[in-house]
Amino acid sequence: MVSRASDSSSKSRQSNDGLGNLTYKLNQLKKQVQAERVVSVKDKIEKNRKKIENDISQLLSTTSRKSVIFAMDNGFGNMPLCKYSGFPQGLGDRDYVNSHEVVLSTSSKLSHVQKIPPYTTWIFLDKNQRMAEDQSVVGRRRIYYDQHGSEALVCSDSEEDIIEPEEEKHEFSDGEDRILWTVFEEHGLGEEVINAVSQFIGIATSEVQDRYSTLKEKYDGKNLKEFEDAGHERGIALEKSLSAALDSFDNLFCRRCLLFDCRLHGCSQTLINPSEKQPYWSEYEDDRKPCSNHCYLQAFSLSLSLSAAVQDTVEGSAGNISSIITNTEGTLLHCNAEVPGAHSDIMAGERCNSKRVLPVTSEAVDSSEVAIGNENTDTSMQSLGKRKALELNDSVKVFDEIEESLNKKQKKLLPLDVLTASSDGIPRPDTKSGHHVGAINDNELQMTSKNTIKKSVSAKVVSHNNIEHNIMDGAKDVNKEPEMKQSFSKGELPEGVLCSSEWKPIEKELYLKGVEIFGRNSCLIARNLLSGLKTCMEVSTYMRDSSSSMPHKSVAPSSFLEETVKVDTDYAEQEMPARPRLLRRRGRARKLKYSWKSAGHPSIWKRIADGKNQSCKQYTPCGCQSMCGKQCPCLHNGTCCEKYCGCSKSCKNRFRGCHCAKSQCRSRQCPCFAAGRECDPDVCRNCWVSCGDGSLGEPPKRGDGQCGNMRLLLRQQQRILLAKSDVAGWGAFLKNSVSKNDYLGEYTGELISHREADKRGKIYDRANSSFLFDLNDQYVLDAYRKGDKLKFANHSSNPNCFAKVMLVAGDHRVGIFAKEHIEASEELFYDYRYGPDQAPAWARKPEGSKREDSSVSQGRAKKHQSH
Amino acid sequence: MARTAIGCEPLVGSLTPSKKREYRVTNKLQEGKRPLYAVVFNFIDSRYFNVFATVGGNRVTVYQCLEGGVIAALQSYVDEDKEESFYTVSWACNVDGIPFLVAGGINGIIRVIDVSNEKLHKSFVGHGDSINEIRTQPLKPSLVVSASKDESVRLWNVQTGICILIFAGAGGHRNEVLSVDFHPSDIYRIASCGMDNTVKIWSMKEFWTYVEKSFTWTDLPSKFPTKYVQFPVFIASVHSNYVDCNRWLGDFILSKVKLSVDNEIVLWEPKMKEQSPGEGTADILQKYPVPECDIWFIKFSCDFHYNAAAIGNREGKIFVWELQSSPPVLIARLSHAQSKSPIRQTAMSYDGSTILSCCEDGAIWRWDAIPT
Repeated sequence: MVSRASDSSSKSRQSNDGLGNLTYKLNQLKKQVQAERVVSVKDKIEKNRKKIENDISQLLSTTSRKSVIFAMDNGFGNMPLCKYSGFPQGLGDRDYVNSHEVVLSTSSKLSHVQKIPPYTTWIFLDKNQRMAEDQSVVGRRRIYYDQHGSEALVCSDSEEDIIEPEEEKHEFSDGEDRILWTVFEEHGLGEEVINAVSQFIGIATSEVQDRYSTLKEKYDGKNLKEFEDAGHERGIALEKSLSAALDSFDNLFCRRCLLFDCRLHGCSQTLINPSEKQPYWSEYEDDRKPCSNHCYLQAFSLSLSLSAAVQDTVEGSAGNISSIITNTEGTLLHCNAEVPGAHSDIMAGERCNSKRVLPVTSEAVDSSEVAIGNENTDTSMQSLGKRKALELNDSVKVFDEIEESLNKKQKKLLPLDVLTASSDGIPRPDTKSGHHVGAINDNELQMTSKNTIKKSVSAKVVSHNNIEHNIMDGAKDVNKEPEMKQSFSKGELPEGVLCSSEWKPIEKELYLKGVEIFGRNSCLIARNLLSGLKTCMEVSTYMRDSSSSMPHKSVAPSSFLEETVKVDTDYAEQEMPARPRLLRRRGRARKLKYSWKSAGHPSIWKRIADGKNQSCKQYTPCGCQSMCGKQCPCLHNGTCCEKYCGCSKSCKNRFRGCHCAKSQCRSRQCPCFAAGRECDPDVCRNCWVSCGDGSLGEPPKRGDGQCGNMRLLLRQQQRILLAKSDVAGWGAFLKNSVSKNDYLGEYTGELISHREADKRGKIYDRANSSFLFDLNDQYVLDAYRKGDKLKFANHSSNPNCFAKVMLVAGDHRVGIFAKEHIEASEELFYDYRYGPDQAPAWARKPEGSKREDSSVSQGRAKKHQSH
Repeated sequence: MARTAIGCEPLVGSLTPSKKREYRVTNKLQEGKRPLYAVVFNFIDSRYFNVFATVGGNRVTVYQCLEGGVIAALQSYVDEDKEESFYTVSWACNVDGIPFLVAGGINGIIRVIDVSNEKLHKSFVGHGDSINEIRTQPLKPSLVVSASKDESVRLWNVQTGICILIFAGAGGHRNEVLSVDFHPSDIYRIASCGMDNTVKIWSMKEFWTYVEKSFTWTDLPSKFPTKYVQFPVFIASVHSNYVDCNRWLGDFILSKVKLSVDNEIVLWEPKMKEQSPGEGTADILQKYPVPECDIWFIKFSCDFHYNAAAIGNREGKIFVWELQSSPPVLIARLSHAQSKSPIRQTAMSYDGSTILSCCEDGAIWRWDAIPT
């Protein structure tokens, strides 16, 4: 801010001078701002000038580097065709100019090239899209160029609908912000001051006040905001709670198309939860195979041999150690043999570890131990990176590497602090060692019990550690104890205790969801929801622990575990409500962009849908619980309930699909076909989708033949060719011959409201080409800028195709079908079915050829004609 | 458009000529009666800076400006289709530096003429409607862009005859595209404008591999995997009416906007909004008024150094603006008693000392700066 001193001196005077001073002040400020603007523009232009100079010198070099010599010396032609002398001195305003008529004797011909029919550039769509809001032409002026005059014509639709100028929020410029800020800071927020300012800038007082508070916020809490923004930028991270993550999922994922950012149904659809849940996917535990090396079932088989090993270790027979290790190793390898191809990273790491212990015992050198510790973390990192790539060969290689590094690293002692740094966030050693004892005791207690699978695994790890301890004790290296242990716990099989404290809120919530979905099946939960995050074993431990912490099952002795879980859940509860706010806000913004809550346009569609050609009704899933009553929007709207509705399957308003056995649903005997719907494998009993010979485990064949009424759904379409029509403009042609009633393809386009369609229709009528197609009571398809080749199929009153609106998985779509046998490379025509008084001149039937206009089946679709 | 906010006011040039430079008529040619829509100097090859081309009707003519107001007619081409009406022409060249003329018009067919052997090099069929402007990439003069009534802008390789990119679709123009221009130094960037009142800036950076591929393509041009660029990097709806000519001035954009009676050339700075790509605001820096210019399709031109711009009007007058002074200065206002017909386009020579104008009545006027 300029001249702070003079500002403050005027401040003392202002109370006396009042408003007069204020106006003066405002004008002063304005002048100042404007003067600065002039300077800033000059600066910008000057800067730009320098840039241009630079650019030009570069351009100049490109023009002069051409050193091609072509036939003529003079450049163009050996001799100019003609020279026209001028007036070297130049002529004045009034001097008569004698113009030279240019008549050239020789001119080269530009040979004729076949023109193509006119079209507007369009984008291919394989699926209908709802119009994005910025594509609307309603309330916008459209400019045309009149070929006959030399001037553009402006066509505004203001005659019919008052363009409501959206009360646009005033965008404050920096200058205005400055005036606002300076004045209010100096003169306070008195009513007079606000009025004066709002008048001066020319906007409402409320906006001025709003702006001031925003500015205040901006200046005061600048840092805070930046911080918030930074948080906003982050994607879905593990730190977020599940509900926060699901919030964006709910807003962006289309449950009907099963994809994100669906262009057909839009974002922020109303979330409909099915009222009846599917039963758990339960399998008998007995005949279940271990899901991976980290399956809790696997651990169960391990525990037997391990427990023996642990006991041995506790007894502390140093001579036995190596043999025990080989034992464990053997078991591990044995496990691998059992589940081939399922090597997991940690497993491999573990194998290395157990192997590595051997050289240690034989050498028993302090320094090498540190090297091992280091190596451990290294290899485990490696194995993490390589994931399952580590196989037996690899582990052998790793073993070799280790030996090598052992030799090398004897000199290079790794500094202790590196190790400690690498093991951040792991509980302090004393707590741990204390727990050790507990764990071992537990282990002894529970060894016989079959339920304590997981515990024994952790005990196994402990046993490893113990082995280490023993070795180290023998080597008089007490200090390194915690480091060794930490490095192990980092790279090794995670212990139950350590892991449960590392369960992030989102993992816990995912786990709970998993229980909801799969029941208490740790294999499925780990595989489907926590893959890459937690192993089956961890899930199973967590499951046991969390259930044991529940009052009715409190048997487990581990109070430490209970506590950590509890603390964590508390933490989760605190976290949850704080985060989603931001996300939800983002979701709402999206909603604005893709708002598809187009209110019905009864007056307009009635006009179009009058007569007996009843137009289809747009389906919107209802969220009714169990049975649909009178309040059900589907019932109210006159549509059936579909599989996307919340209501129960036994809802009376549900469309029940067909039970066709042999007819292949190709005739009106099929209830789906008769209702203008495609069959749905989710709903119909015998309609199935084949995708192989059964070797891939797809659902078994249910009917006799494949259903013939899912052709839009399965995109069983014909190859359509685009070429110059034999009739007018472009035309659609067929590549291969088809027989009667064959499906040719879909007429895709933008879904627009009827109101929008009427507006666009007027524009298109001027260009005399329309690609509008009535879809249902809410929407019209417009293929003008987005569509597919079938939009070029021409109208005929004696066509070889027909269009039909089909309900496919809750959406209306337009299919084009063969009305008769069509030969390859024939042009396709269908009846646009304009109403008798709506048809443009070229689409009217010639007199006398009155075909049975009324007898055409009512399901057939018609092109949209605006009024 | 709403009133300008305080602190965002543009600097408006005064219509009083500074007489820094004075121009006088030195020649006038009459090329039939059909309107001439374009005249353009060759800025591609320094040996031919004095060569210019005009188009009108189904004719393309090449001239040379000589000393003493003399104009020599060098070559002439006539389209066999009498219905053709060329709207635009641009100089280009192949990779060997052989100069090409690229013309297009109502038929929507782009004609590429090899002027070294006076033969048609190639014809590009693809646009669905008439072509309103063709411009050449100055750094790679084998690339041209065309703006069409079919609502698209297309990038072509004149050497191989390939349509490389189509700038249209979801974020594209909603009505005729009237003008397009390459950024002078950012090779990826183009700006287009049209009847939908918007100026759009497009980037082909992500598609540059296709541009390179187009030079080595040996198969049929129709088999080239032409790509759609659907989203511009910037959309400015700063104007409340159609924009029929735009040019880059460094990183700023000059666009000619229709007002009620007078038109004006506006110099503005595109300002991207960080949060929402594609959306942007325009900071209007300067305005260069052009009186009596309220008809459609009048284009301005700049000299090679972008020091000045010349634009004709409905009454046959020419306004020469100093572009890079702040505030803008009108260098000269050219008028002649016999020049009454609307001037569709002007051409400024390399150093700005010669100004050509082509008119609705088929006349070409040559104006030369008087040495002072």
